[in-house]
Amino acid sequence: MNGLRYITVALTYLLCATALAQGVTLPEVERVVLDNGVVVVLHEKRDVPLVGLRASIRGGAVSDPDGLGGMANLLAGALEKGAGERDAGEFAEAIDAVGGSLSAGADLESITISADFMARDADLMIELLVDMLRSPRLEDDEIRKLRERSINELRAAKDSNLRALTPIYGNGFLFAGHPYGNSLLGDEASLEKITAADVRDYYSNYFGGDRLVIAVAGDFDAAAMLENLSAAFADWPAASAVLAAVEVPVESTGRSVLLIDKPGAAQSYFWIGNVGVGIDYASRAELDIANTLFGGRYTSMLMDELRTKAGLTYGASSSLRREAAGGSVAMISYTKTDTTIAAIDLALSLLEKLRGEGVADEMIDSGKNYLLGQFAPKLETAVQLAGQFAMLESYGLDASYINDYGAAIAAADGEAIRTVISEVYPTTDNLVFAIIGDAELIREQLAKYGPITEMSISEPHFRP
Amino acid sequence: MALFAELRRRNVLKVALLYVVASWLILWFVQGPGAALDLPSWTRSFLTLLLAIGFPVALLFAWTYEITPAGLRKASSVDQTQSIVYKTGQKLNAAVSVLLVLGVLALIGEGLLPKFEFLVPGVPQGEAPVAAQTPPEIRSLVLDNGLKIIVWPDHDIPNVVLYNFVRAGSRNEYPGITGISHFFEHMMFLGTEKLEPGEFDRIMEAAGGSNNAYTSYDVTVYQDWFPRSALDVIFGLEADRLQNLRTYADAVEAERQVVFSERRSRVDDNNFFKLYEQVRATAFVAHPYQFPIIGWPSDIEAWTEEDLAGWYQTYYAPNNRIMIFTGDVTPAEIFELAEEHFAPIPAQDPPPAVRTVEPEQQGVRRVSVQAAAQTPMLHMAFHAGSATDPETAPLNLLLNILVSGESSRLHRALVEEEELVLSVDGFQDEGFDPGLAYFYLTLPPGGDPAGVEQRMLELLQDVVENGVTEAELRKARNIVLADFWRGLATINGKASALGQYEVFLGNYESLFALPDELEAISVGDIQEAAAKVFRSQNMTVGVLLEAEE
Repeated sequence: MNGLRYITVALTYLLCATALAQGVTLPEVERVVLDNGVVVVLHEKRDVPLVGLRASIRGGAVSDPDGLGGMANLLAGALEKGAGERDAGEFAEAIDAVGGSLSAGADLESITISADFMARDADLMIELLVDMLRSPRLEDDEIRKLRERSINELRAAKDSNLRALTPIYGNGFLFAGHPYGNSLLGDEASLEKITAADVRDYYSNYFGGDRLVIAVAGDFDAAAMLENLSAAFADWPAASAVLAAVEVPVESTGRSVLLIDKPGAAQSYFWIGNVGVGIDYASRAELDIANTLFGGRYTSMLMDELRTKAGLTYGASSSLRREAAGGSVAMISYTKTDTTIAAIDLALSLLEKLRGEGVADEMIDSGKNYLLGQFAPKLETAVQLAGQFAMLESYGLDASYINDYGAAIAAADGEAIRTVISEVYPTTDNLVFAIIGDAELIREQLAKYGPITEMSISEPHFRP
Repeated sequence: MALFAELRRRNVLKVALLYVVASWLILWFVQGPGAALDLPSWTRSFLTLLLAIGFPVALLFAWTYEITPAGLRKASSVDQTQSIVYKTGQKLNAAVSVLLVLGVLALIGEGLLPKFEFLVPGVPQGEAPVAAQTPPEIRSLVLDNGLKIIVWPDHDIPNVVLYNFVRAGSRNEYPGITGISHFFEHMMFLGTEKLEPGEFDRIMEAAGGSNNAYTSYDVTVYQDWFPRSALDVIFGLEADRLQNLRTYADAVEAERQVVFSERRSRVDDNNFFKLYEQVRATAFVAHPYQFPIIGWPSDIEAWTEEDLAGWYQTYYAPNNRIMIFTGDVTPAEIFELAEEHFAPIPAQDPPPAVRTVEPEQQGVRRVSVQAAAQTPMLHMAFHAGSATDPETAPLNLLLNILVSGESSRLHRALVEEEELVLSVDGFQDEGFDPGLAYFYLTLPPGGDPAGVEQRMLELLQDVVENGVTEAELRKARNIVLADFWRGLATINGKASALGQYEVFLGNYESLFALPDELEAISVGDIQEAAAKVFRSQNMTVGVLLEAEE
């Protein structure tokens, strides 16, 4: 009977729908490439009267000029300090007056501008964005103030935010001579050298229509928005300076230790890592599962052993930094000064265990469920969606990066995960250590990990 | 029977079925996903009426007319040997099947079969909101044991958020057990009569959920974020730790060390908290708001298992908690699960009241901290109101005017124009009891805290004497309003906001009155609040400077 056939078909659809519910599918977007290369991605989403926007200029801290580290970040900050008809005060006033947010920052491979505002203020906020990108004032005095404040904020971080600093020292030491070691914020010494004229030069050389991606999501009319953005950017010429290709970083062999002396520190803060993989790594799902189980959640191996069982720390994690040409993988934690060696030894033994035994089969499903169960809330709001669209465009990835992810997680098996572990995580013989702590109390014991390079936390740079 | 056979032959029954199914889908859509279209409230009743009137018309039409290869003809005039009613019937069957499948898929997409709610007898439906501006889909229910549950369904993503507010914070502590509410937050993850230490998190994460918790001066809040599929698991885990918690001695000792580690990285290696702790302890001489949330080190070292057990029984009782659920759920299913899992937990005597009222401050108080510091810090605290005091809402707007955004008064003056400080920020406590309005400033190396303090006082005195402008008030309203909408853009923000308003203002519905309340605050209200709070005899000043060699 025909009815049966329909029921069969219905059941098939039902099963497919259940399987799909495991992942996340990006909503449909309108994607337009203007003649000069500007990419515009638009998605209407009208659940709350808000608009989220992310503009991204390819480049970023990897293209900081030699000796002028922090340039991209300084320029990003300076973009907020007056543009078009408005000086710095008027510009800030215009944003605050409507309760909006519009701010710029540098990543390693892009400068991004993020905005979040009420739907009714869209015209004003787009006008401010356009001014920021095309006619920033970049005035001497504003750049001087910004530079001085940036220098002092680094000093303040060295007083109070040591947890945030270990990755900067660690990546800087690991990627010696490679742009992936660049500190986004630069350092006190490099910032000191940057002049306002340098910033203006950098802007005119590295900004242009061919490097711009703008993604907008939220409560707006797509046709009108496209017209607005096209009118503003269609005639923006290409940037003049070539973006140097970033070489694929090479794994560091052997062991080396950077000890950053912070006299009187109550704890030691450590980062232990090596070169990892890039953003387009083919087995991303398997790697995410492995990292979740190793140090990416509360019941991970690192957290379980260092915190829950041994009480050595409040937090321990493994971090994957993934850029276009490669990245780093690292274990991060902190512990009171007299348990520094115990904590590091434990972390190293867990790395050895990960590489030797892989992850337990019964934990793989747990890791998969966790990744999938926590996935949807990452793409819930207009701001999150705009950020995701811009990120995909900047790295030349398409929607399948998100849409196929759920299925790839579901399909990952123990064998593939073990292969990925041995491919991505370093052996304990090949590691770079960066440790902030009271050197006098830990120097001697740290020597067993490898040759020590020592510097003081008050030195005005992050690389020895 | 002949009539029935003819009804069947002419596909009238199938048309009837198709009509009913299609109507059901349309009405379901209008009520559910169609709500996003912002249709007027009478749409559903109007459609119901229209579809009801249309039903006999459709049947009459199906009886009277028949589809033939030549088009629509009167059934009575069609040659029965040429009739294709059988084929039409098959198409109708297909259409009904497709619509049914669509309906089932839609319901699955929503994560439930709402009809079932009404089929289960004895499941409470909860209280609907009263105020017009409150989203009508929110429901609340108080169980017999006093536990209040609030549910805000939102089916955008297949996830759920749970906030469990416990009315226990460092405000409820006394010397000897300071930090116990925060430590207890850690204890809640450390095992029950059924689950070994660590199992709680392992089970939750294996089901795709994650969790966290925080402790403040007034409350301890537990948060679970999970896919809808983990709903039963979460109820099981929460019910277990809310009634069967066990303190494993080994786990308690290990956790003591974890909390010390937290204290070292949060306070001992962090100049902001080093100073903050001292300023609060100086600003309050009587009220327990003087205790650091994480506790004094000697107390962390010393609390006993009896202290912990007593804390659990008194403060974690259902009548001292509120649970908020937002996301891909219905109120009925949550209430049913709550009846099953939480109703058996017995109520307890209410916790002892916090009786101490901080006496009026009689003059400026000062405290200094010497630490390894390249950048000095200045903190200035003023006694202000509680969450419900009349000066709190205007003062909140004033703080926005003073420190929110680069165009704010204090930022423009002190950071941009005079370049005296690297940053200036501020907040006020909005707790059960009167708290502090608090400013914190980071100075450049070599900066002059006394000079900056003087400028701060001048700038605050200017507000007291001359008030703020209408433009500044408008800006502050917009900032607060935009933040309000940003909060409501996620199921996490919704849960957090509902809980805050329910716990601190006594009614979650007051959240939705915020836009109107903002409009009602005048520049005069702000000036009055400033005059009441920003007085030097009401002030505590803290300075952190480089330790002298």
